[in-house]
This record gives sequence, structure tokens and C-alpha cells, in this order.
Amino acid sequence: MPDFELHETTTLAEASDLLRRFGTDARLLAGGTDLLVDLRSARVRVGHVISLSRIDDLRGISKSEAGLRIGALTTIAQLDRSDIVRERFSPIVDATGRMSAPPIRSVATVGGNIVSAVPCADLPPILTTMHASVILWSPEGERSVQLESLFVGPRQTTLRKGEVLLAVLVPSMRARFGAAYERFGLRDGNAIAVASVAASLELEGDDTVRECRIVLGSVAPIPKLVESASAALVGKKPEADAFREAAAVAMAAAEPICDVRGSAEFRRELVKVLTQRALKTALQRAQETEA
Amino acid sequence: MIRTRTFNVNDDNYTVAVSDTDSLVDVLRDKLRLTGTKKGCNAGDCGVCTVLIDGEPVNSCLMLAAQAEGKSIRTIEGLATDGELSPIQKAFVHEGGIQCGYCTPGMVMSATALLERNASPTEGEIKEALSGNLCRCTGYSGILRAVKRCDDYRGDGTCAKRTQTSDSQAQTGLDHGTEHDPQSAIRNPQLSSVGVPIPRVDAADKVTGRAIYTADIHLSNMVYGKILGSTVAHGRIKRIDTSKAEALEGVLAVITGKDVPDTMYGVSPARYDEHVLAKDKVRYVGDEVAAVGAIDERTAEMATKLIEVEYEELPAVFDALEAVKEGVPQLHDRYERNINTRIDHNFGDIEKGFAESHHVREETFTGNSVYQSPLEPHAAIATWDHAGTLVLYTATQVPHYVQYMMAHVLHMPLGKVRVIRPAVGGGFGGKAETTPLDLCSAILSKKLGRPVKMVYSREDMFHHGRGRHKQHMKFKLGVDREGRIKAFKSEIYLDGGAYSSFGVVTAYYAGSVLPTLYHIPNYKYDGYRVMTNKPACGAMRGHGVPQPRFAFECLLTMIADDLGIDPVKIRRRNAMMPNTRTINDMDIGSCEFLATLDAVAAKSGWNEKYGKLPKGKGIGIGCGGFVSGAGYCIYRGQVQLSHEKGREPFQKKSIFPHANAVVKISEDGTAAVLLIGAAEIGQGSDTVLTQMCAEALGIPTSRIRIRSEDSEISPLDLGAYSSRVTLMAGHAVSRAGEAVVEKLRPYAAAMLGCDGSEVVARDAEFFPTRAAGFSPRGATESCRAAGTAGPDEVGSPRGVPEASQSPTPNSQSPIESVPWEEVARKYFNDHGPLLGTGCYKPPDGLGGDYKGATVGTSPAYSFGSAVCELSVDLETGKVKMERFTDYHDCGTPINPQAVHGQVEGAVVMGASETIMEDVQFDEKGNILNPNLHGYLTMTIKDAPEIFSGLVDSYEPRGPYGAKEIGEGSTLPVLGAVAHAIANATGIWIKDLPITPERILKALRERKEASVR
Repeated sequence: MPDFELHETTTLAEASDLLRRFGTDARLLAGGTDLLVDLRSARVRVGHVISLSRIDDLRGISKSEAGLRIGALTTIAQLDRSDIVRERFSPIVDATGRMSAPPIRSVATVGGNIVSAVPCADLPPILTTMHASVILWSPEGERSVQLESLFVGPRQTTLRKGEVLLAVLVPSMRARFGAAYERFGLRDGNAIAVASVAASLELEGDDTVRECRIVLGSVAPIPKLVESASAALVGKKPEADAFREAAAVAMAAAEPICDVRGSAEFRRELVKVLTQRALKTALQRAQETEA
Repeated sequence: MIRTRTFNVNDDNYTVAVSDTDSLVDVLRDKLRLTGTKKGCNAGDCGVCTVLIDGEPVNSCLMLAAQAEGKSIRTIEGLATDGELSPIQKAFVHEGGIQCGYCTPGMVMSATALLERNASPTEGEIKEALSGNLCRCTGYSGILRAVKRCDDYRGDGTCAKRTQTSDSQAQTGLDHGTEHDPQSAIRNPQLSSVGVPIPRVDAADKVTGRAIYTADIHLSNMVYGKILGSTVAHGRIKRIDTSKAEALEGVLAVITGKDVPDTMYGVSPARYDEHVLAKDKVRYVGDEVAAVGAIDERTAEMATKLIEVEYEELPAVFDALEAVKEGVPQLHDRYERNINTRIDHNFGDIEKGFAESHHVREETFTGNSVYQSPLEPHAAIATWDHAGTLVLYTATQVPHYVQYMMAHVLHMPLGKVRVIRPAVGGGFGGKAETTPLDLCSAILSKKLGRPVKMVYSREDMFHHGRGRHKQHMKFKLGVDREGRIKAFKSEIYLDGGAYSSFGVVTAYYAGSVLPTLYHIPNYKYDGYRVMTNKPACGAMRGHGVPQPRFAFECLLTMIADDLGIDPVKIRRRNAMMPNTRTINDMDIGSCEFLATLDAVAAKSGWNEKYGKLPKGKGIGIGCGGFVSGAGYCIYRGQVQLSHEKGREPFQKKSIFPHANAVVKISEDGTAAVLLIGAAEIGQGSDTVLTQMCAEALGIPTSRIRIRSEDSEISPLDLGAYSSRVTLMAGHAVSRAGEAVVEKLRPYAAAMLGCDGSEVVARDAEFFPTRAAGFSPRGATESCRAAGTAGPDEVGSPRGVPEASQSPTPNSQSPIESVPWEEVARKYFNDHGPLLGTGCYKPPDGLGGDYKGATVGTSPAYSFGSAVCELSVDLETGKVKMERFTDYHDCGTPINPQAVHGQVEGAVVMGASETIMEDVQFDEKGNILNPNLHGYLTMTIKDAPEIFSGLVDSYEPRGPYGAKEIGEGSTLPVLGAVAHAIANATGIWIKDLPITPERILKALRERKEASVR
């Protein structure tokens, strides 16, 4: 591994200060499951690595009236096993339970999975459909950004210089709201998603769709919120035909690449199938909330 | 920056200086010398480095050591308490959860984390918990059994109880999940050690992290080496400037083509076409250009990046069908039109055969570029002593050929080369050649006068690993009205990559083994092994045969469908029978192929399912068989030829024995040491050889230690390839054991007061035959005769015991007997060392008289049939393997647990290569997926449930009736999977791997065609 200096910070201020000082020559280290691979392969070359793991402010999962607050250093395994999550925010488990493999999940963090802005990350799609936002910390104060506004390209976000992702906020799920995440990997265990789709539905009293969100993973430079696909459903009865129509819109909106995991054509096909499956499960879950 | 840090590992505190950049795995292994934690991919993909951090499983390669400071770190070394294995460790030992052992520490740590959190996990939870730990040997079956049955191994005494039952029952009584055939546990009651499913002799070492692999070894004053590979696929080296690399602090030596011998090396003597480092041309991306020796691995790696190489790039060719065309760039001057091997085999009258056929079908199939991907990366450590002897530690399956090749390239006598084979973490053919690591470490070590260690990265493995040949196959099959084969024509282009490697043999195998399974009266094979600018291909499990076998099985089933004949029936009608000489002159001895077909059809419920499953569900059949050891050595003539001397003319007999063993008895007679060079690579050869040795000596396996790792100690054995060890080394071992008993007979007879010919050794005692009521041991008799048995003798009466009902000597009231060790001690007092030797040469005269007739010859052949059941998601193309039923004729099993372990591993490896494995290249010849997240192999979540059964069989030419299982078990799998997918989707996909994308495309095309 190329040489770097490790800074083991204990406060947000310290981490932020180092980030500003070293600029592009520094990276934050949370779980490290992506960063270490990138450093080793020289995709990332920096002289300074700033470890966050001793900053207690970044830890913990808590529930308030507004919703769920997930500290950025929460590991995927902790999120997956959290009783609050399993009881009140269960769609998240669709992603955490199938992401990578246990030895990665016990180290990889929620903050890392989001702020790395890798197009195939599993948490951003489902969290976006659940209207999650992130809290960004800097010495100037905290600001909140809706998840869909965070990503600008592969490995690029709207974070400002010196900002640290503090926590993720997921609003409590309303009645008649359901969300689901579907992913396709080339094998059942420990596979990167070739395509993934998260969908959420909120139903009106007359069972038509009040609101819908469809977010695509692995098939665009960023986790892609397809508003046109949602629009195809709003005001309609959530039925197979309508889902098919929304899926066709989602498929058209995908901007996949060809790589070792599959061609663009294959990925588009998957988007169509996964969108319908995610919508179906989301609907089922929305209907279950009434029971 | 270097800082002093304290790590709490297994409750001990270690304070060491570590760099900020050090990963936890490197600190554990290199600084704390806790080498039980393995290193496999350095990218978090394989899981062999899994340790527990505060109770959670973690890939220690993806964690900086600094991140682990202040936490509780647990490694495999910390699981056993006061020498007592933990319940999960015991379960892995006894349930067959271990083969090569390289994944074992990580696997056991993941299982431990699971069971500490959840004492009684469901099968789904177990699979999820272990999904980050790859295994390439076991098919995950034994691992799953171990975790499920862990409770049986808790508390005192239960393990011992379990051990006893595992001999007779543990193989049988599984309620669900992967299981074995109860029949398999039935064994010859005359035999004490052979036929018993004992745990591996190296299991305890492997499950505790004590087993030492090459990369675990640290020698004093050791230097680390790295190889620089070419960045272009085809080019001439114009200039190499090593000055910057040499100037880097810590760099001790840089070598290039000018520093290595001119002697070329390879596998097939007629086609040695590789230099240790490129002299002039490079022929693939990764071709070895230079090597560096430095004080540590990191420095060596950095130095390779400082070497400047200027290439004159040449046009390259990457496709075997393109490469043979006129005007295409030539890789080697000596191979015209890039054709490295051309085979033109004609048996019978092919045209007449087709003319007489009722139905003829021709299809084209394409194979894939499969990589063995053992979990353990290749590694070598070379050092020279002051007398000029080279000592080479290497991860190899063929220590003798490495020894031979080192002597050849370095121009020294074989006797000056000592090869030590530490534990090997899987080979599958990928470690069947002398590697650039072996040669470069030896050259660097000589230059520096210090030991040199070199280990491949996972990416290096893909470049230098010698994977399976991708084959382009055009097959034409003609049958009569009943489906009986009349004629078969095969045209195959094998994509060989840049060098010969095993390729000549591979190309012959691709043709020669097909007629051993079915009667083919007229057969033509056109084979072309073609050079392309890609990594060289070599031998992989089933050498050359799996892809043609896949194609043949598919075509036979297509024809069955065309004629409305059941696929099992068409196979029955064509099945090979015992004692047959095939059209291409292979001598088939024992053959229970029909029995495997009937058993697999009955057990899988074939008749109830085939053609009656709902859409998306499929069932398919595939068959296959393989040689039990190659009939001829890779090189001919003396063990080592001098450089000046030409090759000796070919004779149809072995010049020297292929397997040799020495048994040495301790002075007090209580222990035997078995010395044999057979390579234990995870397949279990140390265990079955120990069992056969024990049987021949008449003492329990627990009194035998095997030393197979050192050429200095153990006599020559050709190694682990062509599925040869059980049969060939088994003979050598049992003969060596018998030689010892022969020496003891007079002593025992004197003590027992009978004639020497009337004593028998068994269960650590000598008995007079009359008192014990023994009949001569049939296996032993046939074993003696086997070496010289001609084809006529094949099929001689089985060595079934006559006295199976007679009480065992131990349970008889007063019977005259003397303890074995006492007899041995008396012998030592009179004569000194008690030794027995044994050797094995394959029978003379194997094979026909045409060019290439030797390839495919063997003393014996295995047979097997497999049924695959799966489902296909018709919307995404995703295949879910559900269940495999497999029956094999492996002769009489020496260790049923080991046999089933091979089958289970082969099923998963074979299924994996059928649906997901393919090395992919870009248009410049770069590998796109030289890692374990791009090149996927099945995880425990992808593996099917497997039922492995054995049919009753006895091979007169095998030791105790045994044949092979390791490679043959792969062969039925590919065809069975392909058929099941066709059955589920209604479409034959003839290109491997059968990926979801290909399935979806085929479904779409059919839909579009039907619309039109």
C-alpha cells in the first residue's frame, strides 16, 4: 500500500480541520472497506488518512418523534440487527441484509456507504424512497440535505470542504406507506448489485397512489430518483398495468454502463423487472400498515 | 509513520511497532507470527483472513492494524482451550468440513461468531453467516454439516462418541440438507482401516491454524521478491531500465531476461517454450519481464513499478478461431499459423457410420475461460546451502516435476535440488507446473546468498495460474433408430494462450476420454490447440475433458429429445461395459456405469419429474468418467536426462516407477512412518495413503505418521494430477507395508509356534491364520498382481471376503497372538532398522499405436452420473441450483467421507463454472476481472443440496479395489446443469457460462421469433 499518514481524531472539529488543511490529499476513514481497497489499487492516492473511529458523536441509533437518527459510524451489521429498525423502519433491512457479506457488514458504516457515492451502494436507494436526509457537520454548524440532493456523480457529492457526515435521518413511516428494495446480483452471496431498485408508495383513502418514489441503483452515475416513473403512478390505482407502465419509464430513465457484470441492455431489462417487484412489495407493505 | 501499538489478541497483549499503512492481517501474520489467519485476496472478497473483533467477524485484510488497537482480537489460534478443540472445531474435523484447510480458519471464525450470537441457527442463518467465506474444495457440504451438528460436539466425551459413530453411521443419518448414501458406509469387514470414513489426518492442524503453508514460513535473513509483468499483450522489449528500482532504498537485486538461463522450460518436453523472464518478446499482458528482491514485500512491489520497460508493440490476437487464419500475427516462430498442436484422429469409418445413421445432428458449443482459483495463492521460498543444494519450499501439486524442471533450467543434477511442499491450499491443476516464482526465487536467492520468498497476489494468479482452456467445439453425432451411437465427429479449437504449458496433453485429452463412457464405433477427432496473446492455459480438474463432455452430453440429450427417447434410456443403450477395449484403444476394466445411471435415476425420482415439471423448474442429467492416473509419465526415459542427451525412443512401458514408498518402523515397534512424495493438496491423499499403509501393516492408522512433504525424505511420486494418487501411490504404499510384514513373518511365526506363511497381522497383533479363521485378504492378493495385469486379467474375481461372518480375533476368548510392536522390536534387535519399500509402475503396453495414443491411457477408469434440479427466474434469467444427485463408480472407496467430499466439491465447482465463471478480457488483452469480486465462484448460499452415492464396484488393478474420484466427479456436472436449464426454459444454451444474461437473451429472442 502506498505510504500515508494516519490521523486518529477524537473530535469532529479536529477531523474537519485536517480535512481543510490537506484538501484533496486527505480522505476520511470510517470502516475502510472501500477506502483500503482503493488505496491499495492506487485508485485513491492521498498522503493523509483521517480516522473517525474514535469520535463518539458519530455513533448510535436513536428514535425520536420525527424519526430515526443513524450515526454515521453505525455499522451495517448494527443497523441490520437494530430492534428499532426491524420494528419501525423495516424496509432498510432489505438492503442491509443482502449487502456484501457479514465480515464486511460488521465494519462497513452507514456513513461510508452513503458518502462514498459509489453507484452500486445499497443504502441510498431505499433510504431515498423513505425521504431520508443527511446531517452534515462543519465548524460553522450543521446543515441538512435530502439524500437525493447529495449525489452529483460517481464518487462525487455536494459535501463542502471540511464537512463531515454526522448522521442520517429517516422520517417515521406514515400510515399507508410502504417501501421495498430489490437487487440483482450474479450470485446469492456477497455480490455487488448489477442493478437495484427501491420503490415506495403512499396510498390515499380511496386506494389510489398519493405519492410514489422509485430510485435506481447501479444503473446510473448516481442513485437515480426517477420522478417521471413516480408521476406515472400518482393518482392511479396501484395495479399491475400501472406498475408495468412505471417500470417502462424507469427502464427508459436508466443510464447503465456495460462492464464485467453485465451489458447495458441486460441492466435495463433488470430495472424493468425489479421495479415491478419492488412496487408490488411496497404496495403489500403499505396495505399491511392498516392492519 | 511507525508507531508503537498494543494489540489484545486471544487475551494476550502484544506491543509492536507498526506502520500506519499496515493492515491487521499483515501485523498478525508477519509481526506476531500468528499465521493461522490466512491471506487470500487482500480485498475482502474471500474471507480467509476473517478474525473476530469484539466478537464480530471482520476481514483483517480490510482493516488497518491501527483500527484494531484497544479491541479484543480473536484468531483461530485462540479457539482451542488447553489443547482441547472447541466444539465447532471438532465438528469441522469430524463432519468433513476441511479439505485444503486454507479457508478453514476464516470459516471457523465466522461460524464461531454466529454460534456465539445464536446457539441454534437455521440453515438460512448459517448460510448467511458464512456467505463471505469462499471455499473451493468442499462444496460447502461438510461445512454446513459441521455447523448444523456443532451441538453434538459440545461438552466432554460427546466428541469421542461421535467419532465412533462416524465410522459406521454418521455418514448415513442426516435428516435434511446435504447427505450421503448409506450404502457408502458398507465396507469389507475383513479390512480394519480401508473403507473407514476416518477424519483427515491433518484436520486438527488445519482447524487450529497450526498447518503451515508456504507463505506462512519465515526464514532468517529472508528477502522478498516480486515479478514485473508485461503491460502489453504482444511486443518486443526494446529497452529495460532498472536503475530507478535499484536505487530505491531496500532493493537488493533486480533481474531481467539477461540474468536468467537461455534454457527454456514448460511441461511437454517437445514444446518447452518459456524463458524464466522474457529475453526478447512478451506474449501476453503479465508475461514475466523482471523480478526484484528487496527487504520487504512492499519495497519489492514499489520497485517493480520503478522499472522502465519500452516495448515495440506488435499486433496481437485474442481469439483462437482468428489466430489460425492466414496473415494473423504469429506468437512463436515455431508454431505456424499459431497452431501449437494438431491432432487428426480417425477410428473406424466415420463416413460409413454417418451414412448408416438414422438421425444425425451437428451443433456448435463454446466453452469458457475458467480459472482454478484455489484459495491459497502460489508461493515459493528458495534458499541455497553452502554445498550448492537448492532448497525450494513451494505450493505445488507436483513436487517431483518441479524438482526435475529446476534441475533442467538451472543445469544441475536432480540430487542437488530439494523440494519441500508445505501444506497446499488447493490446486485443481493450477499448481501442477513449475512457476516463475519457483525459478525467480531460486535465481535471486543464488545471487543474494539469502533466502527469497515470493507470493502471488490474486491478480498475479489470474495472469500466471494456467486456467482451463476455452474450447470451441463443433460436434456431429449420428445414431440409429434406437439412439445407439453410429458415428461421432468432433472438431475442437482449444484457446491455449501464449505458451504450451500442458496444452499438447490437454488437446489429446479433449478427444481421447470421450469414447471411454459410451460405445462409439466410428470416431473422428480434429483438434487444434492454438496460441493467443492471453495467459497460458494448462490443466484443470478433468483436464481437457469437461467442456467436450458438456458438449457431448448436451448433444446426446438433444438427439434423445429429437427421437423421443428418454435421456436416461439413450445413455443406458450406449453405456460402456466392463472389460472393453474402446475404439481408440483404451482398456476399460471395471465399469459400473449402468449402475450409476440406474441409481441416480431412481434416487432423483427422474421418471416422476422429467417432462412433468412446471415452467421455470428443470431437471437434467449428465454423465462422465476419467482416468485413474495417466498411464505414462509426462517426460519419458530416465528420471533426469542430461542436457546433451537426446530423448530416448518411445517405449510402451514405464521406464521408472511412478509411485514409490518407504515404511519405517520405530525401534520399539509402536509407530510407523510412511515416506512418500505424493502431494497432499487438500484432496486427502495423506489420509487415504495412511489408511492403506495401516491396512497393509496390520496396525491402526493412529500409529502411522506420513511424511510426504520433502523430496529429501520421501521417494519419488509424480504428484497430484490425472487423479492418480489413490491408485498409484496406494499400490506403492500397500506394497511397502506388505514388505514390512513379510520381514516380520518369521519372527511372529517363531513366537506363535507356526509356519511363517501362516501368520497374519491385523489390529496391531500377529495371529496364526488357523486360530483366527482368516482367509487371505483378497485385496492384497489382487494388489500384488495388479502391476502386471494385462487386459485379459481385468475383471478377475472380486476380493470379497469369505469369512465376513467369523468373529473378529479380539472378541474371541483365548486366542494365541503376539503384539505387533513386540515382533517388530525383536526384528530390530537382530537386524537394525525395519524398513519396507514398495513401488508402482503402470501396466506395460497401455494404449494403441497411433500418434498420441498414450494420452487417456490409464490402469482404470471411473464412471459417474449426476442429476441436477434447479429453477430459473424467467424474468431475470437467474438460476437457483436446488439439488444434485450423484452416483459414482470410484471402485471400492478407501475413505467414503473423503470420496463424498470430492464429489461435493466437484459438484459445486462444476456448477459454478457452468453458470458463472469466466475470465474476461478487454480488446488490449487485459483481464477485466482478475479478482474475486469480478471473477465469481459460488458461495455457500449458491451451492445446491447434494446427495452423493457410490455404487458397489471393485477394480482389480486398483489397491483394495479403488479407482479415482477427484477429477472424474467434475465431468457429469456441466452437462447436467446445462440440460436442467434447457429443461426449465425450453432453450439449449450452448455457450458457457450459462449466465442470466444469456438465458434472458435467449428467452427474448424466442419470444421475438414467435411474434414474427
